[in-house]
Amino acid sequence: MSEPSDRRRRRKFLAALTVLLAAVGLAVAAGVYVPSSSNGGEAEAAAAPDPSRGALPVVPDPVEPAFVPPKPKALAGVRHVSRFSPVRRAVTARAEPDLASRAVAVLAARTPEGTRNIVPVLGRERAPDGSLWLRVRLPVLPNNTVGWVPRDALGGYGAVRTRLVVDLQRLTATLYRSGRPILAADVGVGRAEWPTPRGEFYIRNRLTKYANPFYGPIAFGTSARSDVLTDWPAGGFVGIHGTNRPDLLPGRVSHGCIRLRNEDILRLARLMRVGTPVTIR
Amino acid sequence: MRELTFAEVDRDGALLEAVAGVAGTTRAELLRCAALGSAAALAALAAPEVAQGSPRGRERDGEILNYGLAFEYMQAGFYTEAESLGTIGRMPREQRRWARTLGAHERAHVRIIKEVLGEKAVKRPFFDYRGVTENPENFTRTAVALEDLTVALLGGQAPRVADRNLRAAFFSLLTVEARHAAWARRIVGFRPVGAPLDEPKSLAAVDRVVRSTRFLVSRPRTSGRKDPRFTG
Repeated sequence: MSEPSDRRRRRKFLAALTVLLAAVGLAVAAGVYVPSSSNGGEAEAAAAPDPSRGALPVVPDPVEPAFVPPKPKALAGVRHVSRFSPVRRAVTARAEPDLASRAVAVLAARTPEGTRNIVPVLGRERAPDGSLWLRVRLPVLPNNTVGWVPRDALGGYGAVRTRLVVDLQRLTATLYRSGRPILAADVGVGRAEWPTPRGEFYIRNRLTKYANPFYGPIAFGTSARSDVLTDWPAGGFVGIHGTNRPDLLPGRVSHGCIRLRNEDILRLARLMRVGTPVTIR
Repeated sequence: MRELTFAEVDRDGALLEAVAGVAGTTRAELLRCAALGSAAALAALAAPEVAQGSPRGRERDGEILNYGLAFEYMQAGFYTEAESLGTIGRMPREQRRWARTLGAHERAHVRIIKEVLGEKAVKRPFFDYRGVTENPENFTRTAVALEDLTVALLGGQAPRVADRNLRAAFFSLLTVEARHAAWARRIVGFRPVGAPLDEPKSLAAVDRVVRSTRFLVSRPRTSGRKDPRFTG
């Protein structure tokens, strides 16, 4: 009976020793870990946050942008926008968008004043062969002639929101921007024997710093041409310009040109760009 | 077809002035390089870094902004012309929404950069989009190229901005332009993302692309000093 009890005692001793060694092992392991954690320092602790605690890394805030674009706006209505295009090369304007169509006029690349010729674009159409054609107003007689030219004969589009209306009855010129009047002035127009032509035209150039005081400080060239002074130098184009005889305005005093007082033509020049459509009625 | 030189494309000098400013050289020097057609010479003018807050840093930032403005003008004009000519209106609904959104964004970018630059802002150049704004297919494909080019341009220039707040704004523009590019690519059926890394383009590389478009042209000379010969 003594042998089994000895065995039991030995087993109890071994079990107790095992438990003790395990406890010491854990304590040693914990002892190794704790110094390691504390040696990591604050930077390591900050860089390696405890996800269970939900802490965020300490980094700088985003840099404030120097500017923020305004709210994007849809394109405003294009009702009052008129387009024009420079003539890239001399080209024959035709009655229809077709090379075989009747020739209406030859469109030069330059004006008689040496500036780039421009034409208002009134419409577009693709020919059966796929080529694009533009319907344009032409600076030729008879006035108000339009024709079609191949797209590649013209350059990029320019756009204006202004329109000038000259009233031959009231002897006034009114400039509109986006449909609203922004300038009105008295004008001198053609005498009965040299009438200012009526119709739809456009401003095609602007001359300044010339020597002739008769035209005032600024002269705009238009596409309108005198129906009667056809042998006038450079083709009898109608201009809109200043004057050295403001005492004659308003009145029917010119060879067909539209004259404004110099202060009015200067105001007009600040507001009206080349390419602006002109209605003379 | 004969290849145009940079000088012929950019007769107004708006883009050239901007490039010259960013490259830290004079317009004449740059024009000489461009006239020689030497992309390597343009690349050699790569600008050194400048310190934030220094007078040169502020000057450089203005030049980079103007460079960005010239491109925003080109993009805004591109979308605006296509919309006002009715090209966008003829496209399917999803494409219309895309093109109108991007057009509105580009116009907003032009407004804010002009406002920041004030009197120093470059004038709007004259563009000839060579008919691509008049054909929906050409328009959308060109839009992809322009958006990708803008991403490459901003990626190259944004890190050069000295002022950190301005740099932050540039990076904000860059991320928006990158989204534009991805959307444009999706619209035409390209993969929205090409490579795993967007490679910034050098000024010389951007110059080559701009030259190839021939979109930037001389403003038509419609003013003169000859004695008028109107009927009087």
